[in-house]
Amino acid sequence: MKSRYEAAKQVFVDSVDIEDYIDLDASVAAYKQLEYSLEKPLKMILLFGRPGTGKSILLNRIQEKLKHQKEIHYFDTPAVNEKEFFHKLFKVLTQKDLPSNTEVNFSALVEFCQNLRGKREIIILLDEAQMYGTEMMEKIRLLSDSRAVKFVVSLHKTDDEDLIAKEHFQSRIWEVIELKNATKEDQTAYIHKKLLKKNLFEIANSIKAKDMKLIHKFTKGNYRECNKLLFTIFEICEYYDKNEPAKVNYAHIHHRIIEMSALKLGYIHV
Amino acid sequence: MYDIKPLEEEWKKYRKKKRKPLYLAGAGFIVFLVLILFFSNSDKITFKALSSYFKTLKNTIANNEDEIPKRSALETGFVMNAPLMRVEMEKQMIEETETENTEESPGNILVDIPILDGQEDTRSNISKHRRSKVHLDIIKTTNVTAYKDVEKRFKQSHDIDDSLFLARSYYKKGNYKKSEYWALQTNKVNPNIEESMLIFVKSKMKLGRKNEARNILRHYVKSSNSQEAKKLLYRIENGKF
Repeated sequence: MKSRYEAAKQVFVDSVDIEDYIDLDASVAAYKQLEYSLEKPLKMILLFGRPGTGKSILLNRIQEKLKHQKEIHYFDTPAVNEKEFFHKLFKVLTQKDLPSNTEVNFSALVEFCQNLRGKREIIILLDEAQMYGTEMMEKIRLLSDSRAVKFVVSLHKTDDEDLIAKEHFQSRIWEVIELKNATKEDQTAYIHKKLLKKNLFEIANSIKAKDMKLIHKFTKGNYRECNKLLFTIFEICEYYDKNEPAKVNYAHIHHRIIEMSALKLGYIHV
Repeated sequence: MYDIKPLEEEWKKYRKKKRKPLYLAGAGFIVFLVLILFFSNSDKITFKALSSYFKTLKNTIANNEDEIPKRSALETGFVMNAPLMRVEMEKQMIEETETENTEESPGNILVDIPILDGQEDTRSNISKHRRSKVHLDIIKTTNVTAYKDVEKRFKQSHDIDDSLFLARSYYKKGNYKKSEYWALQTNKVNPNIEESMLIFVKSKMKLGRKNEARNILRHYVKSSNSQEAKKLLYRIENGKF
C-alpha cells in the first residue's frame, strides 16, 4: 500500500529544479533586484549568501526567464581548472568548440570581448564562485572590463569566512545582492506552497503553526535544511503509516516526529 | 528506511533531558513554597518550641505514670468516696502545675501545650481563672530570636502572657525601655494586671522619670488599693527604690 507521505517526502528532495521554485516575498525581492541589476551597465554582480539560501535556484530561474531575451549562460559547476573554464567561455562567446589539446590565449580573448562591445551583451552566471582562485577571479574581472561580458558571481563561504569573502569581492564588484535565511512566515509559506503545488492539501494542513515554529527553530530558516528536515519527517511518517499506524496522526504532525527527525539530522542531541 | 526503534529510544532520552529543567524548576518551586510556609509559621512554631513541647510532654507522661501508684495507695490506704478522691487529685495537679511554672527551664521558650481530654475536665473544674493551657516561661535565655518570636506571636495573638513575659524578661535583663513598652502593651490589652503596672512604674523609675512614675503609681493605688503598689510607692517616696 502506498503511503500518503511518500509523495510529500518527494516534494522535499533537495534539488535545483526550476519547477520547484517557490515565489516568496524575500525571493521575489531578490529576483527583482537581480533582474534590475542586470539591466544596469554593471560589470560584475555578487550574489551572496549562506549555503541553502536559494542562490542556485535564483540563478536558474533568472536564466530560465531571460534566456529568450538575453544571451545568458549558467555555469553551474565550477571548472576544474583555468583551461577548462576558458574552453567553456570560448564556446559561449564563439559558439565553437576548441580542441582539447589547445590553450586559450587570454589576451586574445580579452581583445575578442572588447570587439564585441556594443554588438553583443553576454551574461555569465557563475555558481559556486568561491571555488575559483584569486587569479582566476582577476581574469574574470578583466574580461568583464570589456563591458561585453557581464558576470553574476554567486558564492558562499561558511561562518567566519563570510565577511572576508564579501570584502574580497566587494572591491571588484559593483553590486551585491545578499540572500538570507527565511523568516518563520516565509518558511511557512515555502512549505505550504511546495505541498500545495503537488496537491497535498491535507498534509499541508496537518503542519500547524506550532510545528512551523519548531521547524524554523531547528533549521534557522535555511531552505536546504528545511528540505532535509521535512524529507525526514515525512519519511518517519511514511514508516509509521505503513508499519505502526497508531503512532501517526493524519490531522497533525506530532512534535515527537519533528524532534526525532531533528535528532536524526543532528540539529539536537541527547 | 532507517531503523526507527533506536531513534525512538534516542527521542525518549532527549525528552527526559529536555524536561529535566522543568522537573527541577517544579521541585525548586515546591521547596520554595515549603520554605515560605515554614517561615511564615516560624513565629508560631520553632524547632526549639517543638523540642521543648516534646520534652514537656514526656515529663507529663512520666508524671502520669508516677501518679498511678499514688492513686492506688490512696485507694488502698483510706476509705474515700469519689468526690474526695477527686479533690485530692486536683490538689496534686495544682501543685505540679505550680512547680512547673516556678521551675527554671533555660532552654524553653513559650509553648502552649494542649491538655489531654481527661485533664481538661479536671482542670476546668479546679478554677475558672486558670487557663486551659500550661504556660512555660523563659526565665533566662540569651537567644534573641526567642524574644523576637514571642514579639511576633504577640502581634498576632495579643496574648498578654506573651507581652507580660517580655516585660518581665526585659526588666530583668535591664532593658527598661523595652520592659516599659511591653508592660504598656500588656496594660492596653488588659488594664487590670497589676504586675504589668508595677513593671511599667519600675521601668520608668529606672529610666529616671521618677515624678511620672510616682504620679502613675499614686493614681493606681487610689483606684486599686493594692498592697504591692502601696509598698512600691512607699519605697519610691522614701528614696528606697
